[in-house]
Amino acid sequence: MAILNKPDKVHQAIAWHGDIPITNRYTAGVAGERFFREVKENGKFMGTRCPECDLIYVPATMFCERCFAELDEWVQVENQGQVVTYTILYWDLDDQPLAVPLVLALVQLDGSDGGLVHYLGETDPEDVYIGMEVEAVLKDPAEREGSILDIRHFRPIQV
Amino acid sequence: MSQEVAIVGIGYTSFRPLTPEVSYKELVYEAAVKAYEDAGLDPRSDVDSIVSVAEDFTEGTSIFDEYVPDQLGGMLKPNVTIPGDGIHGLATAYMQIASGIVDVVAVEAHSKASNVLTLPRITAYAMDPVLNRPLRANPVFIAGMEMNRYLYTSGATREHCALVVAKNKRNALLNPAAAFGAALEPDQALDSEMVAYPLSVVDISPHADGAIVVVLASAEVAQSLTDVPIWIRGIGWCNDSPSLENRAWGRAIYAEEAGRMAYRTAGIRNAMDEIDLAEIDDAYSYKELQHLEALGFCEYGRGGFLTADGVTEIEGALPVNASGGSIGGGHLLDASGLRAVVEVALQLRGEAGAHQIPGVETGLAFGWRGVPSTSGAAVILSS
Repeated sequence: MAILNKPDKVHQAIAWHGDIPITNRYTAGVAGERFFREVKENGKFMGTRCPECDLIYVPATMFCERCFAELDEWVQVENQGQVVTYTILYWDLDDQPLAVPLVLALVQLDGSDGGLVHYLGETDPEDVYIGMEVEAVLKDPAEREGSILDIRHFRPIQV
Repeated sequence: MSQEVAIVGIGYTSFRPLTPEVSYKELVYEAAVKAYEDAGLDPRSDVDSIVSVAEDFTEGTSIFDEYVPDQLGGMLKPNVTIPGDGIHGLATAYMQIASGIVDVVAVEAHSKASNVLTLPRITAYAMDPVLNRPLRANPVFIAGMEMNRYLYTSGATREHCALVVAKNKRNALLNPAAAFGAALEPDQALDSEMVAYPLSVVDISPHADGAIVVVLASAEVAQSLTDVPIWIRGIGWCNDSPSLENRAWGRAIYAEEAGRMAYRTAGIRNAMDEIDLAEIDDAYSYKELQHLEALGFCEYGRGGFLTADGVTEIEGALPVNASGGSIGGGHLLDASGLRAVVEVALQLRGEAGAHQIPGVETGLAFGWRGVPSTSGAAVILSS
């Protein structure tokens, strides 16, 4: 619309720029606390098992999203697994080209029904495939802080 | 379904990459004026209730429902704003009328995407803050990973996806409201810049600005207003697991379930036999194929072959996104599903212009909220 009083040059169209600073803390939670503590302190991945659904959740969750049971059976799963799917990402968070493309993957950890979304490293992006066996590379214990970034990346298992 | 509900008014702006001359309120006002004109209603006296669809983050305003009533003629009336797809809004309006508490409801959704200067970062805010967001990856990576898994498990190919791009861009040339029509050859689509392998830049629907208002009415009111009420025969919606780690990556289960609910409420047993056209989410090219399969138009993995056979062309047995969809028309954020509703309703009225499909009586519209969501909604409309 705006037909009656149209600005006749686009630079005359007035706009105000503003931003919304948003800062939060995100509680890891009961299950998240133990999951990340195990990674940080022991370099181990833990899942929670739902006996009703016979599923092992990784990352560990406090309840089963399928049957809604509270979960308290903790099991250790492997630090390695298979690439369920992956992508080679060429754009950054502002839709600008990345200097070095990122390889991201969902890795289903052996011994679990879940997995982790993370970077794939120490490989040529062209060599990655669905089903590839990969293992987690953790930061040195002193550098770990109890976050998903305690994992540096996953890398192909050298046979 | 209980009380019958019909679409009696349709208003929409053209969909454009930039709209520097109008505020979002004026954009919505244009669509509202057109919708009320189309329905033959005065919003201040004849409309009982307002449902709008908006997400605070893309509006750049918190508590956005405060900013809705005036441009829709809705002050001093029941208002509710839903952060969902436009079809979730339609479902809410439908229920208000079906339950008998009101007779006339206006549903609104809009996109002022050109004013959102940090859209990928806002989408990144939709990812799990503890598990996924620390990776600081553009959330389009989720579409790349999903497309990769879908192609792997379904047997569909990048070539099939390129056919979807070429079809929807070409259809958009026939739609004056569409922003991104082009005579693009599938080969050009295949050769375009890679964004998140195997997803290329043309596999991604570009954003557009625009506003849509749809007026719904109870059967009695509808029949007094128009000779061509478009009936809501069935509606359904569903969410799958929110977790990237636990969801099904190859299949659009949310669409399967949303479709099942819509077909059950509409009494539809065979989608391909009973539905004449579909406007389904194509935020990414592979999503049209995945949604086509999930909505029961063909077996899993057959969507690409159906497309290659021309079944989904405007002249085909099941035209899909004859309007150009989001790839050809522009992605309208959470208004995309409502745009699909408008297109189906115009087709059923016989008012779709150059892309009119002859003899259509029943159509389906399906919306998806985009990555990282597994949130979908479907509606079945009949003339």
